[in-house]
Amino acid sequence: MSERPRIATDTRERRVGLWFGLLCGVTLIVCTASLLFGAGAIGPAQSLDTLLRALTGRMTDDNAWFAIESLRAPRTAIGVLVGAALAVAGALLQAVTRNPLAEPGLLGVSGGATFAVAIAIALGADAATLRVPVAQFGALAGCLAVLAASRVRGAGEDPVRLVLAGAVLSGLLYALTSLVLLFDERTADEIRFWVVGSFAGRRPADVIALLPGLGVAGLMVIGIARPLAALALGEHVASGLGHRPRLVRLLVVVAVALLVGSATAIAGPIAFIGLVAPFVARALAGPDVRATLWLCLPIGAALTLGADVVSRLVVRPSELPLGVLTALIGAPVLVAVVRSRRLPTL
Amino acid sequence: MTVPFDAPPLSLTSPLQAEKLCVTYGRRPVLSGLDIAFPRDQVTAIVGPNGCGKSTLLSALARLHTPQAGRIALEGRDIRSYGARELARALALLPQSVTAPEGLTAAELIRFGRQPHQSWLRQWSAEDGAVVDAALAAADLQALAHRPLEAMSGGQRQRAWIAMAIAQQTPVLLLDEPTTALDLGHAIEVFELVRDLAAEGKTVVMVLHDLGNACRYADHLVAMRDGCVVAAGPPSEIVSRELVRELYGVDCTLVTDTDTGAPLLANVRRAR
Amino acid sequence: MSRANAHPAHALAPAGSWRLALGPARSGRSILLDKRACAANLLLAVALLAACVASLCLGEVSIAPRAAIAGLFGYGDGMDVFVVQQLRATRLLAGVLSGGAFALAGCLMQTLARNRLATPGIIGLDNGATAFAVASVLGVGLGIAPPAMALVGASVATAIAFGLAGGIGTQGYRFLVAGIGVGAAFDAITRLMLARSAIDAANAAYPWTVGSLNGVGALALNMLAVGLVIGLIGAAALARALGVVRFSEGVAQGLGIRVGHIRLGALVLSVGLTALAVAVAGPVGLIALIGPEVARHLSSRRGVPLMGSTLAGALLMVVADLAGRVLFSPIEIPVGLISTVVGAPVLLWILLRPGHKIGV
Repeated sequence: MSERPRIATDTRERRVGLWFGLLCGVTLIVCTASLLFGAGAIGPAQSLDTLLRALTGRMTDDNAWFAIESLRAPRTAIGVLVGAALAVAGALLQAVTRNPLAEPGLLGVSGGATFAVAIAIALGADAATLRVPVAQFGALAGCLAVLAASRVRGAGEDPVRLVLAGAVLSGLLYALTSLVLLFDERTADEIRFWVVGSFAGRRPADVIALLPGLGVAGLMVIGIARPLAALALGEHVASGLGHRPRLVRLLVVVAVALLVGSATAIAGPIAFIGLVAPFVARALAGPDVRATLWLCLPIGAALTLGADVVSRLVVRPSELPLGVLTALIGAPVLVAVVRSRRLPTL
Repeated sequence: MTVPFDAPPLSLTSPLQAEKLCVTYGRRPVLSGLDIAFPRDQVTAIVGPNGCGKSTLLSALARLHTPQAGRIALEGRDIRSYGARELARALALLPQSVTAPEGLTAAELIRFGRQPHQSWLRQWSAEDGAVVDAALAAADLQALAHRPLEAMSGGQRQRAWIAMAIAQQTPVLLLDEPTTALDLGHAIEVFELVRDLAAEGKTVVMVLHDLGNACRYADHLVAMRDGCVVAAGPPSEIVSRELVRELYGVDCTLVTDTDTGAPLLANVRRAR
Repeated sequence: MSRANAHPAHALAPAGSWRLALGPARSGRSILLDKRACAANLLLAVALLAACVASLCLGEVSIAPRAAIAGLFGYGDGMDVFVVQQLRATRLLAGVLSGGAFALAGCLMQTLARNRLATPGIIGLDNGATAFAVASVLGVGLGIAPPAMALVGASVATAIAFGLAGGIGTQGYRFLVAGIGVGAAFDAITRLMLARSAIDAANAAYPWTVGSLNGVGALALNMLAVGLVIGLIGAAALARALGVVRFSEGVAQGLGIRVGHIRLGALVLSVGLTALAVAVAGPVGLIALIGPEVARHLSSRRGVPLMGSTLAGALLMVVADLAGRVLFSPIEIPVGLISTVVGAPVLLWILLRPGHKIGV
């Protein structure tokens, strides 16, 4: 390689770093907003006051502090973690299927997790302890189905056809979930509010339940980022560069299952984050998979948490399911991607 | 090199002609002020390099494209004044890439050619049956009448499509590259069918890729380049080394086929 | 002509068809009936009739077939008459009409788009109709009757989906995914409206969103009945031209068909039928996919199976509703869920089978 590409890479890296910093700042602002605004009686001014008092160690109004500490803080943490997880999962799935439309929520990965949880609870499992592994298992099954479909001759080369198949699978899984709910009232009561996708009423324990899955997946992503970038050039090129495409693909599938399973277990199925965040990240970072993955972290977090904050405010005093807002943001992006003359293959 | 398309009683010698025809795709002009006339009861081949506008010309002649300027006359009447079914009874078109519903047999395909002659209350007549049988016979497909199109060879399928156009019973027949994707034997089947049609009194206009076949099977040759007619006339009169070089940028040696009198291209090589 | 005179028997009707002369032989007035399509329609009609009788008989109270049919006409045991006439007949009628309308709309749209996957439900029409109908039920916006609002919604969704895809074309899968986006957006709007409204109003609108034949309004049913009759007449008028529209565009135009006009006509019928059916049954979109698929397998390939699709759709809807009521009684499974569980595998099979074709 000559000198010039390296210079270009340097400027690109600097630009990606700049964006990363900027987006982290945005995420922080959204986090603050998430702590200040709520559907309840405690307004932003009072929240800010309480927050500042708490930070400076002075005594605070118990009611307001309770709302912030035990309601909004875990909710904010979950929003950040779930958003980042879904965004990274989307970017990974898109890289490995080489399809910019591959989104865990659209393709039935979240649907698999949801269905698995519904079945498990209906069979008598304890929702509190088993939900995360069961959801991860369901997500894994969904992932494998997507990968199998993407390797059917013809469907794999046509990005749009895969999405259609995924949407159908997704619809099927949600219909089956509804059937389970119809039959089992106990299940219905336990997961009715979870199944529409929301961060409301999550406890600090839920944040902790998220961590192991995300941690393991994070380590795996760091490990496979380089071969994944090579895989983007095509299977043969990746083999030629000494990577093992099959292994990479398997690891990606496991990582996506861990990410989406954990996120879905805690927050319910949330569609379109995994489409919108990588879409924005690619627009900012260009085609490099590693840069896209980095930028997905703050974008996914800010997007998801921002949607959550808005969903608290739109229909006060009640709350809007988060999935409604993500769909309203995501549907136009989906249409935009499809409409772009040449679908950018990854 | 011009044909005498200024001669006054045009419609007698030519059933189909275009005057000052301009067609654009978006902003790009494809045909710019093209004048052309096709001789009656003869086979005309339109040749030219890729992108010269020959397929567009054929589509415009069949009214699939609306020209920005100029006019097309069919039997002396402006083509725009024809009704849709009326036009389909006067002129048949076989486009280059065609798709049919799955599972259709040859006979069923050819029956669709009777569509312009039928109506909701006149869905089938004795004449329709006779014409379909005749079209099957003309294309030599009687034995394959009830075979699905998917189960036919490329040449047989193409003959079935031409038979459908024959069943339209139009005096003018337009074929867009009827032999692409056919091997030599199958291409010859199609060309001989086309010759038979002209002998029975049809005006056939076909776009061809291959200059050699055009010389061999056409009575009248139209050479196009960049949306204009470069030369028109019988192949033996207009095909020259200069024309071949102008059209395709290649040099060749021209010999005369002693059997047919048609020009043959030999030793084709890149022009220097 | 000499040929025709030589073999008059052969020339009278092409293979696989009956020719129905409508006047003296010289006038040539005639209608062609496809033998296989007729047989398929007869089979479907008989099956539909059987399903209807079963639907009247079965339920929480079982009634003998003879008593059920007598009850339908007001004879026999008073309780039976009440159950059959008041509870089951309306529901059955709703199932037959909405199923037929969904499937006919599906067949029309598949044909005009030359794509077996292009059904109203997949391109977001159902969701658009539902969103507007729910808006009407909740009193958001104008106080127009739900079926009329469903019509508006379906038209808006169609305009958006086709507009985004760049016209009524054969854009392959692309406009289908654009439609998925449109559908998702309308679905979100529906849920947004339900979340914002008071709880009892939301309960009133809820049946609209899941797809169920429970508690159908008389106005919606009447409008659907009229709409389906108009749709069938329109479909019959377009049937011959639609048979040609299945060919590639150049061929169809060359045969003297005004492809644009025919497609537009079929689209209008399809949108109207879907909207009226959604107003009765909610979004049960997959009937529009499976009905024509069944009809195509039974009928011949010569024509577009419009009547067959209608019958098959009605049959599927009645059977799905019956299954939802009877299989796990006393729990009632909405017909929308059943049709998804049955229809989704069919759709996946169409999409993913090797060497697949999506043409009609």
